[in-house]
Amino acid sequence: MTDEEIISVTNEVFEESFEIEKSRLTPDANVFNDLGLDSLDTVDLVVGLQKRFGVTIRNDERVRTIRTLQDIYDFIKVVKETEEKTG
Amino acid sequence: MRRVVITGLGVISPLGRDVESMMAGMDDGRSAVQYMEGWDKYIGLRSLVAAPVEMKDEKLIPRQKRRFMGRMSIFAVQAAEQAVADAGIDLEELQKERMGCVVGSTMGSAGSLSEAFESMLPDHDLSKMTSVKFFQCVSHTASMNVAHHLGITGVVMATSAACASGLQAVGQGYDLIRHGRQDAVLCGGAEDLHPTVTGSFDVLYATSAGYNDEPKKTPRPFDKDRDGLVCGEGAGILLLEEYEHAVARKAPIYAEITGYHTCGNGSHVSQSDNLAMVRCMREAMTQADIGVSDVDYVSAHATATMQGDVAEAVAIREIFGDTVPVSSLKGYIGHSLGASGAIELIASLKMMGKGELLPTLNLETVDPECEGIQHLQVKTEKNVNVLLKNSFAFGGINAVLICKKGV
Repeated sequence: MTDEEIISVTNEVFEESFEIEKSRLTPDANVFNDLGLDSLDTVDLVVGLQKRFGVTIRNDERVRTIRTLQDIYDFIKVVKETEEKTG
Repeated sequence: MRRVVITGLGVISPLGRDVESMMAGMDDGRSAVQYMEGWDKYIGLRSLVAAPVEMKDEKLIPRQKRRFMGRMSIFAVQAAEQAVADAGIDLEELQKERMGCVVGSTMGSAGSLSEAFESMLPDHDLSKMTSVKFFQCVSHTASMNVAHHLGITGVVMATSAACASGLQAVGQGYDLIRHGRQDAVLCGGAEDLHPTVTGSFDVLYATSAGYNDEPKKTPRPFDKDRDGLVCGEGAGILLLEEYEHAVARKAPIYAEITGYHTCGNGSHVSQSDNLAMVRCMREAMTQADIGVSDVDYVSAHATATMQGDVAEAVAIREIFGDTVPVSSLKGYIGHSLGASGAIELIASLKMMGKGELLPTLNLETVDPECEGIQHLQVKTEKNVNVLLKNSFAFGGINAVLICKKGV
C-alpha cells in the first residue's frame, strides 16, 4: 500500500465517520483540538481504521500517542509494513 | 392537585413530518402504507407492507449529538423541537431542573440493534462494534437524546410497555406535574420501523399478510376482512405544563388532561382482556370525575388484529354502548407501537380543536363481533369537549388518557 493510498483511505474514514470536510484534513491537523474528536470518537476511529485497512490495532498502546493526522498515516504505515513482514 | 394542560404538539409521522401535514393526509383519507421493497429477502416474513417515515433534515442535528441517535431518536428530537416551537416556550428562560422529559418506546432503536448484532455475527467478533451503538440501543435512547439535545435537566425517564409506551409517557408527565415534581414535561413516544419488528409480530400471526398486493387496503381496524396489524414508525411529542405556568406566559392551550390510568391485565401477555380494558377506562373516567355521557369521542387502539379489535369493541360497548363515536387511526399511519398513543392523541386533539372526527380508514363492513359501538365510517362534525384515548399493549398493559377541551 502506497503512502498516498494510506492518506486517502484514512481521510475517507474521517469524512465518512466524522463528517469532516476534506479541506480540513491536513497532515498537521490535531484530531482532537482541530477536528473535534472526543474519547468515544477515538474508539470509532479505531473501528474505522481496522475495517478499512484490515489491521488489528484495538489493543495497540501506540494508538494512545496519536495526535495528528500525520501520526495516523505513520502509524498505519508501520502496522501494515510489520504485518507484511510477519506474513 | 395541580392542573395539567397540553400546550405544544410535535409529530414525525408516515403521513407527514409535522402535525399539519399529518392531519391534512388524514383529512384526505390517505394511507401511508406501502409495499416494502427488499423485505422479501427475510425468509418466512409474510407481511411485506408497512408505513415508513421519510427521513429528512437529520443533519441539522449536530453530529456530536446525532451520533448517539438511532432512527427513532432522530424522530423524537425533531418532534420535540416542533412541540417546543409550537408552545412558544423559551427553554433558556425555563428553570431547567423544573422541566422533565419522558419518552417511551418498545425498545431501543430496532435498526441500531440489528446493526449491532449484524456487526458481531457470524464470528461473534466485537472489533466492528462502534462506541455509539450502546446509546442508540438502550431502552431510554429517545428520552435521553431529547433531553440531551434540549439541555433538559429535570426528571428524564423512559416508559417501556410496547404499544402503551407513548400514552404511559404522557400519563407519567401528567403525574409529575400534578404532584408538583415538575412544571413542564416533554413527553410522548417514538419507534423505528424495521423488518425485525414486523417479523416479531409476524411469527405471532398478528400482522397483515393478505394485502401485500394492495397495501392501501390494510390495516382494517374493526372490519370483517381485517387480517392483522401493519407496522409504522415515527414520534409524537407533547409539551405538558402546569396550568398556572401556562397561563402566566399566555400559552396556547389545546386541552387539559383530567384523567389517566394504566394497569396490567394479570391474565395473559398476548391475549387481549376486555375486562381489564373496561377496568382501565373506568378508572381513568373516575379520575377525571366524568360519566359515560360526558365522553364525546373514543380514539381506539384497534390495530386490526383479529382478537384485539374484538376485545376493545366489547370493552367500549360495555361502557358506552353505541352512544359515543369511536375510530382508530391505524388505517392511515399503521401501528407505530410505542409512538402510537402519543401520535394518535395529538391527532385526536387536533380533531377536537377542529370539531370534526375522522373515520376509521378501511372500515367498510363492521365485523359482527365488533358491532354495538358507534363506529365512525365517514367524517363527522362534532363538538368534542372530552376525548378518551386508549392504548393496549402486548404484555397485558393498558393505558387510558382523558382530555378536556378549554380551561
